[in-house]
Amino acid sequence: MKEQFVMPAKLRTISIVLLAIGILALIIGIFALNGPVSGTRFWIVLFFNAIFFLFMTLGALIVLCAATLAQGSWHIAYRRVIEAIFMAMPVFAIIAFIIMMCLVWGDKSAIYAWADKSLVAHSKLLQKKSAFLNPTFYTILAVIMLGLWTYFGYHIRKLSLKEDLSTAGTTKIFWKTYRVAAIFVAFYYVSNAVSTWQWIMSIDVNWYSTLFMWYIWASLFVSSIAVITLFVILLRNLGYLEWITYEHLHDMGKFMFAFSIFWMYLWFAQYLLIWYGNIPEETTYFTIRAWGSYHTLFYINLIINFCAPFLILMTRDSKRNYTIVAYMAILVFIGHYLDFYLKFMPGPLKNNWHIGWYEIGITLGFIGLMILVVTRNLSKAPLFLKNHPYMKEAIIHQS
Amino acid sequence: MSLRYESTIREPLINGTKDFHQVTEDIVRPIEGKPGTLWYVGLYISVAMLLFGVFAVFWEVYWGIGVWGVNKTVDWAWAITNFVWWVGIGHAGTLISAILLLFRQGWRTGVNRAAEAMTIFAVMCAGQFPIWHVGRVWDVFFIFPYPNTRGPVWPNFNSPLLWDVFAVGTYFTVSVLFWYAGLIPDLATLRDRAKTKLRKFLYGYFSFGWTGNVKSWQRIEALFLVLAALATPLVLSVHSVVSMDFATSVIPGWHTTIFPPYFVAGAIFSGFAMVQTLLIVTRKVLHLEEYITLGHIEAMNKVIMLTGSLVAMAYCSEFFVAWYSGDFGEGGQFWWRVDGPYWWAWWCLITCNVICPQMFWFKKLRRNIAFTFYMSIIINIGMWFERFVIIVLSLYHDWIPSSWTYFSPTWADMGFYIGTFGLFFTCYFLFSKYLPVIAIHEIKHVLRVSGESYKQNMKSIETQPLPEFVERVSREEHISTGVGALR
Amino acid sequence: MPVKNFVVGCFKEEEGVFKAVKRVRTSGFKLHDIYSPYPVHGLDEAMGMRQTSLHTAGFFYGLFGVIAALAGMAYCTVHSWPLNIDGKPHFPLPSFIPITFEFTVLVSSVGMTLTFCWLCQIMPGVKKHIFHPRQTDDLIVMAIELTKDSQAEEVKKWFADLGAIEISQQRAEEGWWYGNFSMPAKYEQELEAGHPVTS
Repeated sequence: MKEQFVMPAKLRTISIVLLAIGILALIIGIFALNGPVSGTRFWIVLFFNAIFFLFMTLGALIVLCAATLAQGSWHIAYRRVIEAIFMAMPVFAIIAFIIMMCLVWGDKSAIYAWADKSLVAHSKLLQKKSAFLNPTFYTILAVIMLGLWTYFGYHIRKLSLKEDLSTAGTTKIFWKTYRVAAIFVAFYYVSNAVSTWQWIMSIDVNWYSTLFMWYIWASLFVSSIAVITLFVILLRNLGYLEWITYEHLHDMGKFMFAFSIFWMYLWFAQYLLIWYGNIPEETTYFTIRAWGSYHTLFYINLIINFCAPFLILMTRDSKRNYTIVAYMAILVFIGHYLDFYLKFMPGPLKNNWHIGWYEIGITLGFIGLMILVVTRNLSKAPLFLKNHPYMKEAIIHQS
Repeated sequence: MSLRYESTIREPLINGTKDFHQVTEDIVRPIEGKPGTLWYVGLYISVAMLLFGVFAVFWEVYWGIGVWGVNKTVDWAWAITNFVWWVGIGHAGTLISAILLLFRQGWRTGVNRAAEAMTIFAVMCAGQFPIWHVGRVWDVFFIFPYPNTRGPVWPNFNSPLLWDVFAVGTYFTVSVLFWYAGLIPDLATLRDRAKTKLRKFLYGYFSFGWTGNVKSWQRIEALFLVLAALATPLVLSVHSVVSMDFATSVIPGWHTTIFPPYFVAGAIFSGFAMVQTLLIVTRKVLHLEEYITLGHIEAMNKVIMLTGSLVAMAYCSEFFVAWYSGDFGEGGQFWWRVDGPYWWAWWCLITCNVICPQMFWFKKLRRNIAFTFYMSIIINIGMWFERFVIIVLSLYHDWIPSSWTYFSPTWADMGFYIGTFGLFFTCYFLFSKYLPVIAIHEIKHVLRVSGESYKQNMKSIETQPLPEFVERVSREEHISTGVGALR
Repeated sequence: MPVKNFVVGCFKEEEGVFKAVKRVRTSGFKLHDIYSPYPVHGLDEAMGMRQTSLHTAGFFYGLFGVIAALAGMAYCTVHSWPLNIDGKPHFPLPSFIPITFEFTVLVSSVGMTLTFCWLCQIMPGVKKHIFHPRQTDDLIVMAIELTKDSQAEEVKKWFADLGAIEISQQRAEEGWWYGNFSMPAKYEQELEAGHPVTS
């Protein structure tokens, strides 16, 4: 059993090249993308990518804590991979924080209407909402939430590494992790609502939906599982994690399948009620997305995120097929990237959206950064948890 | 043959030293023995309640809906509250048997049979309310889309009320199928043990000629799995559709997008509370403490805590958005909940549903049977008030202040509700006497892994170093498709 | 169904059964079936059975459900009697989804359960021969059909070597028939009365 991960030079080169492309796009963007529309495009693409990748890493922590609380053993076989992903959180948290501060304090952007003092002065509704939507409160909450998420990630990782050093058969750390996970989930649960309302829902400032927080949660949960799957498969391809079997693969496929349906359920619940109620304040959100210039993306989103995983991952054989699961994980990842895109862009950019060199460059940069940070984290600790009480269960796991 | 191993950190699911025969004996004992006085007393009280309900319904059919407390402003009240409440309770069973099966939560085996039975009885009770609420109950079959001589006039497929008919009907059918399919092997066990002719005949008839051959087991397991996969989205959909009875309208307090998942969470919340109420009594009376252990009760309390918190968060988001939206009607409606004529109902709901379940953060309380029992009743009261608050408190203050009113139930409202309790408990008493309250074959299936006496064998595996263990399992047959084979 | 001769061995442990299944192929005996009180995982594979395709049937029932529900509602609201409801289109897909979903699940699960009953040949009123009353309690029961190549004594000895705790020879009808479990079957009455039963 190979215990230690060593980053292959090729992978390192690829990730650095991707990162370089991102930085290049950013630099060109600074100079090329100015003015009212392009400036908004510059910021919203950065902001959207930062939040998306932050949520991917956060999602890994949620998956881990949820599985810990459910006393699941399936994830222990590749728990170090999950840990490596959420340990990338600080990097993305810092990036997201810088961008968010630019958005609310540098009032040149047109992303948050409520951050623009001149707009607030003319709108009764914005004035009413300003108790919740104001730069100071935004900053304080962002610091608290990003800080605590990162802290919990560190704490759980620390416990996990400590377990490796303790004597075999000890259960103290297991129960401690259990308690920390419970507290994190409780905290996440509240911060999920606050962060999605304040960061994302307030982009379309006049629109509101009570379901929005859980809808975002479903999206980030399923795409995090896709990311975890991709990294596990990557490691398996490189010759690590020999104990990962078809049973584990089957499990990951199942989770992607199930949570894609769950995502669709929440999506549909929100859409149906707004469509049926037909109240102008609410339908504006879908007017531009479903009947405006985002029309095509809107339907592609549903096909990628629901129809494809539902039909393809339905059979047992496809969930146990290495290639299919890998491609489906990539598809689900792209799908939810698109889903996030549709949440961010229509508000500030209206019909002036692009998918061009800048969008692709920045995204590649973030992907490169993610691979780089995650693989670095992987090489810092042994790949198996030799003292975890569920490790043996995880190895003989059957799905 | 696979390695029988489970981490010793997991609590055993079956306590005591048991073999297969002992399991059968333990679970079958109440069926083959004579019921105690308590059972007769309980059954008679239930039947009396049921008869009173029948009378209340008769009264309503004879005189019309006017005998209830509903009025022109509050035209939906107790009956719909009770309907949603009972449907909600009916969610735990299928959740336990379907979702927990897919998530491989081992503790479901001890409680699924009784929980599923409870589900079926609760849905039966729930169905009564919309049926008798239509007023002219003799025309109730008009809801079905069949070619008719009235035009043909089809039901309105746009109406969430019709969706409800399909949702609850499907849910009931699938729950019965799932429950009964699981019951067949156990009925066969009863048949092969039966001494009297009548028992042999009846259990033989209803066990469908089950023999337990290999192919049948393979097929029935596949059936369980697919039914579980179908029932899982079904559970979510049923209460979502119920919530859409309200949420598709544009009435403040009703029209909000969180309703579907929030109703589902609430349903599971109340359903588990009812399972606790019933099982805590059942395990005591039928001496099944070794099968429905403290661990089971704790696990269910955790689910209660989780769903209770989900519901609490949904309340918060409703209030937040009522303020955030800046909508006048919405804001007013929510303020009246806290500080209107019905303030007591809302505060009752908050106390029972938000504050009380948070006590389960303490392990001591989670594992305290008496506390759990009281809490389960409190939660069910709270969940009844939740539906009452949503329904009556969104209607009684409408857009015309001159039509604002107050709702008080009449004896006929209460009689109907009491009658459904009678129906529910009558069914449950009969079930617990004549059918095995625990799935015998499922217990046998997990016994050698999760039974207390078998877990001691796992010490040797537990202490084996990890690389040696991997070596060992990769040599064994069961993992031949696994280690090393992937790629 | 024909009446045949069987030798029946009862096992307390799964290990013995797996060993027996492995050996029965080389021994030349005709394995009739194995009965157990709970599902023994891996036994179906060991006996060389293929996976059931009940799921596939379920999928097609579901497909039928989707089409039937959507087509039925479309017929009612577009063709038979179009009505303007809420200003929505005559075929409002979002509000048809709930019924479509429910109907799909209904058709699929009812269809699958009936298919299951049909495949396993179980139904109210069906009776089959029970080789041992404890096969639904705690014993795993293996039945070997006697052919002209296998002698009863030989099979009995074979079972004893494998560690079967109870071994018996039985004459029983194969398959299923309508019957009452509180009464012996017709062929059993005939056997008891000493009449020869044609096989």
